[in-house]
Amino acid sequence: MRILLVEDDPMIGDAIHGALNDASYAADWVKNGLTALAALETQHYDLVLLDLGLPGKDGLDVLTRIRANNNPVPLLIITARDSLDDRLRGLDGGADDYLLKPFDMAELLARMRAVLRRKGGSALSVLDNGVVSLDLVSKEASTAESPGVQLSAREFALLQALLIRPGAILSRSELEDRLYGWGNEVESNAVEFLIHALRRKLGSQVIKNVRGVGWMVSKNA
Amino acid sequence: MDGFKKRLSESVQLRLSVTLSLAILIVAIVAGVFAFISAFDEAHEMQDDTLRQVAVLFDRQHMTLKYPEGKGIAGDDEESRLIIQHLADGNKASGNDDDTAPLPFPTTLADGLSTVNVGGEAFRVLVRTTARGERIAVGQETGARDKDARESAWRSLLPFLILFPVLLLVVGDLVRKLFRPIATLSSEIDQRAEQELHPINESHLPTEIRPFVVAINRLLERVANAMETQRRFVADAAHELRSPLTALSLQAERLSGADMSAVAHERLVPLRRGIERGRNLIDQLLTLAKVQAETSAPTSPVSVHEVYRRVLEDLLPLADIKHLDIGVEGEQDVRVLINEMDLMTLVKNLVDNAIRYTPEGGRIDLSVVMDNGTALLQIKDSGPGIAVEERARVFDPFYRSLGTDEAGSGLGLSIVQAIAQRTGARVSLGFADEVQNRGLRVSVWLNVANG
Repeated sequence: MRILLVEDDPMIGDAIHGALNDASYAADWVKNGLTALAALETQHYDLVLLDLGLPGKDGLDVLTRIRANNNPVPLLIITARDSLDDRLRGLDGGADDYLLKPFDMAELLARMRAVLRRKGGSALSVLDNGVVSLDLVSKEASTAESPGVQLSAREFALLQALLIRPGAILSRSELEDRLYGWGNEVESNAVEFLIHALRRKLGSQVIKNVRGVGWMVSKNA
Repeated sequence: MDGFKKRLSESVQLRLSVTLSLAILIVAIVAGVFAFISAFDEAHEMQDDTLRQVAVLFDRQHMTLKYPEGKGIAGDDEESRLIIQHLADGNKASGNDDDTAPLPFPTTLADGLSTVNVGGEAFRVLVRTTARGERIAVGQETGARDKDARESAWRSLLPFLILFPVLLLVVGDLVRKLFRPIATLSSEIDQRAEQELHPINESHLPTEIRPFVVAINRLLERVANAMETQRRFVADAAHELRSPLTALSLQAERLSGADMSAVAHERLVPLRRGIERGRNLIDQLLTLAKVQAETSAPTSPVSVHEVYRRVLEDLLPLADIKHLDIGVEGEQDVRVLINEMDLMTLVKNLVDNAIRYTPEGGRIDLSVVMDNGTALLQIKDSGPGIAVEERARVFDPFYRSLGTDEAGSGLGLSIVQAIAQRTGARVSLGFADEVQNRGLRVSVWLNVANG
């Protein structure tokens, strides 16, 4: 994987460049927008990491030029600009994600993987939050202790709803919406019943209850 | 009395009222005395004229005198009675009093007016020599004359007595009305929040005060500029610090993945924690600068439960580390009128504080209820709480309670207060457990969205 890193700050650039190499990416580091555009014309990159506050040519201008050249390269903005306006301009301008400084390298790498996955068009067949993974084809759930647990259709639907966004808390009514179609009568305590069943199969720590709000699966394990 | 003098020298309004009232009083007294004296004299002159006319009438019509025998003719009033007699008859007076005519006037009186004492009472007497050569005296008791004169003089004072209090009231009211714009202005400025530095509207003010208000407006503008400069400096400084800190934390993160001895690994942990703390502090500084600056109006009603949920999603990992039981109490949601980001930031800082200061295994409760037409948001924890005497100070930036080893930014409650001040919310601190004086309970009152 070849990555183009556009970052003018020498310390940050050095750190990211090093970390990308550590993560076995082939990374080229340029420090201004014009060099970045030149590099993109001569070399194929799998992903661009773009800082917005660049000398000479602003990051947003670089982004506009890249997209104007019909270059569909996956692009992730890394910036200290945290206003909603900048964020919207970046995403509307064709960026695939927007990461705010300061960030952890682990998060940058995870976002890069997510962008590459989306751009690669590979439909996800497995949902995973680090504790539990769910195979969307075989409908089997796996944890470290109990691999390959077969789930019922409703158990699967509930766990899938939670695993789509790990860390998000879903309320009872939101879970019920995902379990029952329109017009189907909702059985009382169905959600508790299913969660109880899932915990018995996968361990009690898999699904967490947040008192008064709802249920979730943890984001980082 | 000293207090009054002090107030008099300090208050233009009072001085004006008192001075005008005194001026009116003096003018009224002088005019009154003058009117009194002239009315009094006028009355006397008229009465002298009457005496003169009676004497002339007597002379012209050649009347003869016949003294009444008895006393008491109907309609007669001894007090104001007019007496005519031959001056020479004074000698024939039957007694030495004024009951029966003729009266004992001295016969030596010269022609013209004089005042004579008869039987202890003063008489005004006109002596005239008639065409026939008789000398007649026309007299009247001065007591009655003076009484009439006084009455007429007092009557002339009446307008002043009515006018004086009326004028005082008018002056008092006028002065108060004239000074009302100043009173309104000062109360308007008084009610302003810290951040409201917009200029004062001077168009409806009297021209005398306008230069003063213009000067205040210029000062307000300078203060606003200075505050803006300072705020921008804080924001810029924090922003600039972000880059090196990002670099530092990325390098530290890389380092932790590298091969190194167990000792080095151990020493890296506090280093990374320190960097994390610096990052957190810079984030909070930026947030504070931002919430102090922004004045965006709320666009749509915000669900408090939705905000609680999103804050919990963010902070649950922190709460899990300390095994805290954190949750929302109550089913009823309330929709409030506030910018969503503001409410997120406010709740997040309060919950973050609660997580920091609640000991391992503790409990944190979030709730929202309606309270007298406003939304009451409460965040309660089972931590040590904040002592009553510290409650005013904990909102100051970088203030930390004694005896806490928590490495917070010290800005959380300042951010909360800045948002509250800008959005018109009210924040109060209390004990969650009021019997044992433990646990912090933060209450926030917010305006409810209508409909």
